[in-house]
Amino acid sequence: PHSCPAPRSSLGGAEQNLPICPLSALGLGGGLWVSFLGGVQQLTAGVCFAAGWVWGILATSRRQSPCPGTLSAFQCLQIGKWGDRRVHQFEKMSPALPSHLVPPLQDIRNTVGNIPMEWYQDFPHIGYNLDGKKIYKPIRNKDELDMFLEKMENPDYWRTVQDKMTGADIKLTDEQVDLVHRLQRGQFGDVHFDPYEPAVDFFTHEVMIHPVTNRPADKRSFIPSLIEKEKVSKLVHAIKMGWIKPRKPKDDTPTYYDLWAHEDPNSILGRHKMHVPAPKMKLPGHEESYNPPPEYLLSEEEKLAWEQQEPAERKLNFVPQQFRCLRAVPAYSRFIHERFERCLDLYLCPRQRKMRVNVDPEDLIPKLPKPRDLQPFPTTQALVYRGHTSLVRCLSISPSGQWLVSGSDDCTVRFWEVCTARCMKTLPVGGVVKSVAWNPNPTICLVAICVEQSVLLVNPCLGDKLLYGATDQVLESYVPPEEERVQPVQWVTATPEEHSKGIRLVVQHSKAVKQVTWHGKGDYFASVVADNSNMQVLIHQTSKRWSQNPFRKSKGLVQCVLFHPIRPYFFVATQRYVRVYNLLKQELTKKLMSNCKWVSSMAIHPGGDNIICGSYDSKLAWFDLDLSTRPYQLLRHHKKALRSVAFHKHYPLFASGSDDGTVIVCHGMVYNDLLQNPLLVPVKVLKGHAITLDLGVLDVLFHPTQPWVFSSGADGTIRLYT
Amino acid sequence: MAQLTARFRTENRRYAVEDVPFSVPAASETTDLSRLINKLLAAADADHKYVEFDFLINGQFLRMPLVTHMETENISTEEVVEIEYVEKYMAPQPEECIFHDDWISSVQATEEWILTGCYDQTARIWSLEGKSIMTVAGHTEVVKDVAWVKQDSLSCLLLSASMDQTILLWEWNVEKNKVKALHCCRGHAGSVDSVAVDCTGTKFCSGSWDKMLKIWSAVPTDEEDEMEEAANRPRKKQKTEQLGLTRTPLATLSGHTEAVSSVLWSDAEEICSASWDHTIKLWDAETGDLKSTLTGNKVFNSVSYSPLCRRLASGSTDRHIRLWDPRSKDGSLVLLSLTSHTGWVTSVKWSPTHEHQLISGSLDNIVKLWDTRSCKAPLYDLAAHEDKVLCVDWTEAGVRI
Repeated sequence: PHSCPAPRSSLGGAEQNLPICPLSALGLGGGLWVSFLGGVQQLTAGVCFAAGWVWGILATSRRQSPCPGTLSAFQCLQIGKWGDRRVHQFEKMSPALPSHLVPPLQDIRNTVGNIPMEWYQDFPHIGYNLDGKKIYKPIRNKDELDMFLEKMENPDYWRTVQDKMTGADIKLTDEQVDLVHRLQRGQFGDVHFDPYEPAVDFFTHEVMIHPVTNRPADKRSFIPSLIEKEKVSKLVHAIKMGWIKPRKPKDDTPTYYDLWAHEDPNSILGRHKMHVPAPKMKLPGHEESYNPPPEYLLSEEEKLAWEQQEPAERKLNFVPQQFRCLRAVPAYSRFIHERFERCLDLYLCPRQRKMRVNVDPEDLIPKLPKPRDLQPFPTTQALVYRGHTSLVRCLSISPSGQWLVSGSDDCTVRFWEVCTARCMKTLPVGGVVKSVAWNPNPTICLVAICVEQSVLLVNPCLGDKLLYGATDQVLESYVPPEEERVQPVQWVTATPEEHSKGIRLVVQHSKAVKQVTWHGKGDYFASVVADNSNMQVLIHQTSKRWSQNPFRKSKGLVQCVLFHPIRPYFFVATQRYVRVYNLLKQELTKKLMSNCKWVSSMAIHPGGDNIICGSYDSKLAWFDLDLSTRPYQLLRHHKKALRSVAFHKHYPLFASGSDDGTVIVCHGMVYNDLLQNPLLVPVKVLKGHAITLDLGVLDVLFHPTQPWVFSSGADGTIRLYT
Repeated sequence: MAQLTARFRTENRRYAVEDVPFSVPAASETTDLSRLINKLLAAADADHKYVEFDFLINGQFLRMPLVTHMETENISTEEVVEIEYVEKYMAPQPEECIFHDDWISSVQATEEWILTGCYDQTARIWSLEGKSIMTVAGHTEVVKDVAWVKQDSLSCLLLSASMDQTILLWEWNVEKNKVKALHCCRGHAGSVDSVAVDCTGTKFCSGSWDKMLKIWSAVPTDEEDEMEEAANRPRKKQKTEQLGLTRTPLATLSGHTEAVSSVLWSDAEEICSASWDHTIKLWDAETGDLKSTLTGNKVFNSVSYSPLCRRLASGSTDRHIRLWDPRSKDGSLVLLSLTSHTGWVTSVKWSPTHEHQLISGSLDNIVKLWDTRSCKAPLYDLAAHEDKVLCVDWTEAGVRI
């Protein structure tokens, strides 16, 4: 076959004039191997032509390699069809073949290996060939113009590449260009390689009738396992002993954890609670404006003053300035400084909470009834009893409420008709009247008057003639006892001259008498002597003209004394304390702490369980005798010292007169229920008395039947408020 | 609202004007209206003299500009207002000033004489001209109240009640100008504050501080009543000189719990008493039963009854004068409250001739003349006194204090 001559013509022409013989006829029983696309393939059948080329059909398999010696240099010239088969025309390669397809004549193979070729940049050679000779770089003397011309003229310029190893130009064949293109597209280099051939599995999921292995099963696979039996018996034992419990049915309900379960929903969270808002910056005002109103601009003096001030003292830390327009405003030089100070403010802001008690001031005021619901009480001044020329120290009223008696510093005692303010009688007594007391017994018409060192018992001869006649008779019917008793005082019957004035008896004490008060029955009266001994308090009996000194020793300066209206108790007020004595048992029952500095006056509730004490330090103490020995309430309504206090006989009223010239009337309801505390409501401040010599109201007194209050003042008047 | 249409009407024929609606300025006051009426009258009658008028709208005196009054009284200004006018009650002038040398506790006037009780323990009789005619002395204490019983041309009977717990019945011979104590009425245990004679002049009633009312006979007799010794009270024969014959009460009315301040006969059988226990009580004089009680909340000082309008007026310590209807049975019914005084109202008296007028005296030294048709303010304040006013009374012509 090598010598098969065949003209280089078209296939049709070859078929016409060239004999065709099968490959076997050519003696190529082992098959003809041809090079095809760079590989070697066997031809299964072929026709050999005399011209030296072969038509053949390529074998599909490439697995077997050709036997050495059979390899011939055939080269596919063209591909044609023979029936439905594809046939290839091969030609024995000859040296006349194009140089790029056949190895070059001299094999200029470079032996430097895979090294960066830049190393040979500065050398004239590029490496060494197999013989160890230098491979010289091809001469490149083409200038740019030549390059350009070649580029334009050479049609193969685009497929000409330079071999880096030899530096020679190589023109790529069509196959090589194709290969390059396929590789660029990401395809296999071989055109004929089918990447999607059907795969044949070695193992399969289908059950085969034949096992994979043919080993017979062991004996132990047919007998029960002892180890298992042991294990099971252990488990059974454990179950019997209760060590293993049957598995609990699984609870499907999801479990959640309430993070906030223990937190009070009403409480504010800690971080919120402790939140302190940053101190707010002052908003810019008119003076910060770039064009402030002229009144905000500083005048020259103000500017001077501003400059002389300490920076910390300045009201403004800048000088307001006026600019023509906003564009003319320069950069603010103090900006960084102010930002820094603001940061300091925020950082040094006191992070301490002030615990402010949020109390409605209305709640602090005790709930008291309105004064107008507590009517009646005296509200207005109705009458002024004028006549005294000096301060009126004391007042007393007849039990019927028709007559009023007043004692004054002008050394007189005056008797008044209550309803008309008419002075019915004036009794000069020749001394300052310290105290008067009308006998509370309505059947006795007698007034006790303290004048200097004596107590005068006066029959005013007012009211019922029979009554005052009877009083005189009682006094006259006194029979002196046979044996003279030693008495601390002297009882003297009035002289006829005094008798005509109304004076019936004179009880002469050793010292000046401060106060006199009657017992409710009207027979006994007590007097207080300004003394420091045990002789301060004396109790007198009118009908027997007998006096006694109840106390053995002095417990302090006695201010005033009082009889209990119902029970046999006797109250003695010293400067700080009020002592309650039982007259029958002759012992001290109670000692009331007044919490005042100096008690001035005292009055007892007609029920007998409550006492009020006025003091010179302008306090009024209400004692509930059943409650405690300390004041139930301390009222500080007056501005100055209290001079006198009084209870009303029927109405729940009490009054206090003070040096500030006012009388304060209070509602003082005492309940029969022991559990209910008394209700004290100040209802009215009565003014009227002029303050004379720093003294205002000296005595207050209630009318026995009407809700009227009398007050006597240092201005020499007595006033009636209704 | 500049104009109002009004129609004028009067009871008095003499001053009647034509009954046609007039358009009057809304802001006009009584003087303007009065001038208008006078002009109308002068146009009708040439010799008309100027008269001051007072104007009433629905029975209320006009005391402010017309439109304001109508607004406050809720009268529509759209319709024709009917305005009644009466001759203005001229301001009383103090005609005489009678000087006592002590306080006068009471006064009662008749056509010819004035009887006063005085704190100097006497009662006095004055003529209307202010001449002292007679001094009646006999009491040992302040005379609290006086009353005429009977007046003849020859002799008069008069009463004086005193703080010495007696009431003396005097006979005054006018011609001889002598007084004689006829009877000494004893029985009260407190000062007798008030006496009142009934309309027939045969009985009188007294109220006292001892909470009692006592009815006595006012007919002078020659017998002396037996002094009845009261069982519960030891009584001693009075050693003091006897003035006249002792007389004991016909009946005693007890019921007040406080002093009786004022007493009067509202008609022949009914006694009305005011007391400090905040009540006014009406009594049947024949049987002595309590008929009804009017309860106030303040002490009553004085009470007065007008037969013309059948109302009670009371003066009390809370500075108000209250008008009561005594016939109303259901509780106390205060018809009207007259408030202007600044002190206790010590005395009130209805006018004997005028239905709507009353006079009141107060401790604020002012006597006020009221018209019940103008309850907001009194007609006149008579401020001639320099001290407390204790009692007021009317005569036919005017007022005497």
